[in-house]
Amino acid sequence: MRFSEKRILEMKSILKKILLIGFIIFLLMQFYHPARNIGFGQGLTADFTRVYHVPKNVETILRTSCYDCHSNKTDYPWYSNIQPVGIFMENHIKEGKEDLNFNEFGYYSKRRQNSKLKAISKEITENEMPLASYTLIHKNAVLSTSQKELVINWIHKIQDSISLQN
Amino acid sequence: MKNIILSAVVMSLVFVSCNQKNKQEEPVNMETKAPEVSTVKVNPNSFSIKEIVTDYLFLKNALTKDDSNATADAGNAMVATLGKIDMSKLSGENMKTYMDIADDIKEHAVHIGDNAGNIVHQREHFVLLSKDINDLVQTFGTEQKLYQDFCPMADEGKGAIWISEVKDIKNPYFGSEMLTCGSVRKEF
Repeated sequence: MRFSEKRILEMKSILKKILLIGFIIFLLMQFYHPARNIGFGQGLTADFTRVYHVPKNVETILRTSCYDCHSNKTDYPWYSNIQPVGIFMENHIKEGKEDLNFNEFGYYSKRRQNSKLKAISKEITENEMPLASYTLIHKNAVLSTSQKELVINWIHKIQDSISLQN
Repeated sequence: MKNIILSAVVMSLVFVSCNQKNKQEEPVNMETKAPEVSTVKVNPNSFSIKEIVTDYLFLKNALTKDDSNATADAGNAMVATLGKIDMSKLSGENMKTYMDIADDIKEHAVHIGDNAGNIVHQREHFVLLSKDINDLVQTFGTEQKLYQDFCPMADEGKGAIWISEVKDIKNPYFGSEMLTCGSVRKEF
């Protein structure tokens, strides 16, 4: 069975309408801007670097590869201004901060800080973090083997000094 | 061009529906099965960790049965219990100790509750959760007879403890795989 010429024309006009409505929705979405994660609580006393003595090279790695989603300040790429990318990103950052916020590390209880250290080292060792969807675009956030070792060895050193205190 | 627009629309619809789904699921998780109610009466005038321990034992028993969903439910129940603990009866050093431990318990309980279906990850958090419960019992005591058990193979061979209400070994780290692995190390 073949569609008649008329039917095809009808379908084409319906398709055009759907696309037009979709495009309008897409345009309207651009007016929505989720609140941005910038600059709240920067340099506060609760930052990770105030809790431990963090060597500069370790700190640089953390800031480059972790702080975008695990602190109160994100370096946004340009396309975060396009919706729904921005909305997706904002949810992502919210979840990341709930799990671990380096800027607010000092507010965690001592015990919880120790648990976090263990979790950080585990996530890095098992290549769970930084997330693949993040490093896909942020190539400079990819951790090399030596960078991973550097961070993990430092964490182990901190853990040892903590267990000596107890 | 049409394809790009169309895919953008589809994507946005997917995101919106995903968000809604998450929102709907949250309250369901909060209303979890309440663990068995104990008949032991607790003096209402003194601080008690009994409810936390009850939730923990429920969680531990779910792990011995390899039941990830029940474990998650117990984790969520534990988070709710922590919110109800009245700290006003605590003072000074005890309050500090309790808050230090409770903050960490919450951390692990939340992760265990969020990871239904991932029993490996739940068991990872159970290592430190058990240590917290152990220290809590050590500090605040227990009316119920409790045992500190030890499995040398847990936590990637580093060994880990758990707290049990029964003398028989039922291993929460391995479940049916090695149910009787471990030994009693201490009695409370």
